[in-house]
Amino acid sequence: MDIIKILENTIAAFFGIDAAYFALAAIGLNIQFGYTGLLNFGQSAFMACGAYGLGMTSQYFGVGMWWGILIGLALVVILGLLVGIPTLRLRADYLAIVTIATAEIVRLIVRSVRFKQYFGGSDGINSFSTSFRNLSPFDPGAQYGIRPFQYSGYSLWTMIVGWSLVIIFSLLVYMLMKSPWGRVVKAIREDEDAVRSLGKNVYSYKMQSLIIGGVVGMFSGMIFALDRGSVQPDNYSRDVTFYVLTALVLGGVAKVRGSVIGPMMFWGLYVFSDNFLRELTKDKPFSIFGVGIIQKAQVGPVNYMLIGLGLMLLMTFRPQGVFGSKEEMALDGR
Amino acid sequence: MAENENSKSRFFAVGRAFAVVLAATFMFSVPGTAHAADSENSIIVSVQNQANNKGVSEKKPVVGVKISVTSPSGVSVGEGVTDISGLATIAVPAKDDYVVTLDVASLPSGVTLVEGTKTIVNIAKDSFTTNAKRVTFFAGSAGESGASLTDRIAQRLVDGVRLGLIIAICSVGLSLIFGTTGLTNFAHGEMVTFGGMMAFWFNVLLGIPLLIAAPIVIALGGVLGLAMNGFIFKKLRKRGIGLISQLVVSVGLSIMLRNMYLYQFGGRTRPLDDFSLQVAKHFGPVSITIRDLSTTIISFIVLLAVAGYLQRSRTGKAIRAVSDNPSLASSTGIDTQKIIRIVWFAGGALAAMGGLFRGLDEQVGFEMGSGLIFLMFAGITLGGLGSAYGALVGGFLVGLLVELASLVVPAELKNAPALLILIIVLVVRPQGILGRKQRVG
Repeated sequence: MDIIKILENTIAAFFGIDAAYFALAAIGLNIQFGYTGLLNFGQSAFMACGAYGLGMTSQYFGVGMWWGILIGLALVVILGLLVGIPTLRLRADYLAIVTIATAEIVRLIVRSVRFKQYFGGSDGINSFSTSFRNLSPFDPGAQYGIRPFQYSGYSLWTMIVGWSLVIIFSLLVYMLMKSPWGRVVKAIREDEDAVRSLGKNVYSYKMQSLIIGGVVGMFSGMIFALDRGSVQPDNYSRDVTFYVLTALVLGGVAKVRGSVIGPMMFWGLYVFSDNFLRELTKDKPFSIFGVGIIQKAQVGPVNYMLIGLGLMLLMTFRPQGVFGSKEEMALDGR
Repeated sequence: MAENENSKSRFFAVGRAFAVVLAATFMFSVPGTAHAADSENSIIVSVQNQANNKGVSEKKPVVGVKISVTSPSGVSVGEGVTDISGLATIAVPAKDDYVVTLDVASLPSGVTLVEGTKTIVNIAKDSFTTNAKRVTFFAGSAGESGASLTDRIAQRLVDGVRLGLIIAICSVGLSLIFGTTGLTNFAHGEMVTFGGMMAFWFNVLLGIPLLIAAPIVIALGGVLGLAMNGFIFKKLRKRGIGLISQLVVSVGLSIMLRNMYLYQFGGRTRPLDDFSLQVAKHFGPVSITIRDLSTTIISFIVLLAVAGYLQRSRTGKAIRAVSDNPSLASSTGIDTQKIIRIVWFAGGALAAMGGLFRGLDEQVGFEMGSGLIFLMFAGITLGGLGSAYGALVGGFLVGLLVELASLVVPAELKNAPALLILIIVLVVRPQGILGRKQRVG
C-alpha cells in the first residue's frame, strides 16, 4: 500500500478544482439554505444553467465566451422564477420537492434526443473552451508546481480562476450578510411572520435569495464545465446537489468559512477514502475471514454509502458542522 | 409530540429483524457474471430488435452483427460479433476515448436500425462509470405508427392504469408517514427498491417461486419500515430534531441505501425468473400480458382494501385521526407511537409490494425506486399531502397522466408533465384534491 501517494492525493484534493467548484455551489446553497432557510434541492439545475449557457455560446450562437455568462444569468433568472413563484409562499418541504423535481426535468430535457440539436443529448457539448484556453497565461502542455501540487497549464488556469471566484463570492456573501439585506433574510429564516409584520416583502426577499444563490451556483457549473472541457447532462444529477449539501453541512451552515472549508474537507475525505479503498482492493478483493467484502468495482458505491451515512450522522449529532453555531440551525418546517 | 417509551422487548425484536435483513442483504452476493465482466475494461455492445406489436415492444437480440472499436484517430482496438443474446464484449486496454462502429451490412436481412440511430458512437473517457461501458443499438421499427389514435389512447390508458395503481400503492406509506410524523421521507423510493431486490433474491438466487416468496418480501418490507422508524426517525423525534433536519437525514439514508443496492446488485437491471416471458394477449385494440393484468387486478384489490381499512376499522380511524391532528388524537387516548409504527410497517410493506410489481413490470435495478419517488411526490401533492385517500387518487392520476403524456411528448420526457402538474397544483390548489385547507406557507 502506497501511503505517501494516498496522502499526497488527499492533500491535493483539498485545493483541487473539484473542491473549488463545490465551494462555489456550496456558497450559493448557503445563501439559500443557510441564511434564508430555503431548502433548495435543485442547485444542480442552477449549475447546469451555467454550464449549458457557456456550452451553447460557441456551439450554437457563434458568440464569444463572455456571452455565456449573460445567457447563464438569463437561464438562472428564468429557472429561479419558475421554481420560486409557486413554492416560496409554501412550506420549506414543498420547495425541496419542487426544486428537486425541476432539476430532474432540466436534466431530462437537456439529455433528451428531442432537444439534441440544442443541448447535445447524453453526449453533451464539447467544443466551447477554446477562448477560455486562449486567455490562459500558462503553457497548456507544461507541468507547473511541485508534487503533490503539480498541474498542467490549463488545470492551473482553471484552478486559479475557480479559487479566485470562491474568494470573491465569499467576500461578497460576507458583506451581503452584514448588510441590512442580510439581516432581513436571516430574520426570515428565524421567524417569517415576524418579518412580515414589520412590513417587509418576505416573498420578494426569498426570491432574491434564491436567484442570488443560483447565480453563484451558475459560476460553479461554468468552472466545472471549463475544467472538464465538456458539458454532460449526467454531471448535473440530483445527487450532486446532495453532495454539495453534505459538504456544506460538514463545514457549517450559515457560515462563510463553513461553505468554503466544508467542500475542501469533503473532497479531502472523499479522495482519501477512494484512494485508500482502491489501494486495498488493487490486487485482490478486500476480505475479512475469507469473506469478500469489497471488490474493486464496488469501491465507488462504498464511497457513496459513506457519504450518505456521513450526512445522516452529521445531521443527527453535529448539525452545525465544524464551524457553524447551533443557534443558527433553527430548522423546523411545521 | 409526546414520546411514550414502549416496552424494550419490542424494540429488540425490531433490532433483530433489522439485523437479519441487513445480513441478508450483505451475505448473499449476486453470483456469476455480476462482477466478472467488470474486472477488465471492456465495451459491451448490445444490439436489440424492438419488434413492435401495437405499442408493446418486445426486445429481441440481434445475432451476428459485426462491431468494431477504434481509437478516435482510427486505429483498430478490437472487433466483435454479437452472440445469441445480442451482446458483443470487446476488451479495451484502458478507460479512454473510443469510437464504436456498427457494420450495417452485417445486419440480418429485414432488420434495419431505428430511424435516427447512429451507426458510429463516440465513447468519452469519462463515460466509463464502471469498467464495462455499455452501448446499445436499437433495430426494428419503433413507434406506434401502425396503430390508429384511438387504439393508441386505449393502450396508453391500460398502461396508465397499471402504472397509476403501482404508484398509488407505493405512495400510501409516504403520505401517511408525512401525515402522522411530518416527515417528508426521501428514502421511500429505496423502500420500493427493497421490494424488488428481495423478490430478486428469493426468486432468482434462491429459486423460490415468486408466489411463495411474495408474502415474505412484503412482510420484510414492513420490517424495513419498522426498522427505519425504530432505529432512525423515532430517535430523531425523541432528540427533538426539526423536521427539515429529519428530511435531510432521509436524503442521506436514501443515498446510503441506494449505493448499498448498487454495491450488492451491480448497476445492471435484471428480470425476475418467474413470469418474465409472457406473450401479450390482445383484447380489441389493447394488448396486455396475463402477468400485468393480474398485478393490475391485485393492485386494485389491495388499494380497495387499504381504503376500506382506513375507513372502517378502529385502527384505520385512529390513523386518520393522528394524520389530521397528532396532538388532538393523542389527547383522546390514541397511542400515537403505536399508530406511527403501524403506519411505517404498512407503508414499508406496501412499498415493497409496489417494488415487486414494478420489478415484474419492468426489471429489478438499484434505481427502480428512486426513479419513482418524483412521481410519488407529484401524486401525494396532487392528492393532498398527508391525506390517506389523497395518495391513492393522486398516485393513480399521475400514473395515468404519465402514460397518456407519452402520446404527445417523447417517451424519454414522459415524466416531465407529472412534475409540471406538481408545480401547477402548488400554485392553484396547494392543499391538493382531497387535502384539508391549512396553513402551508
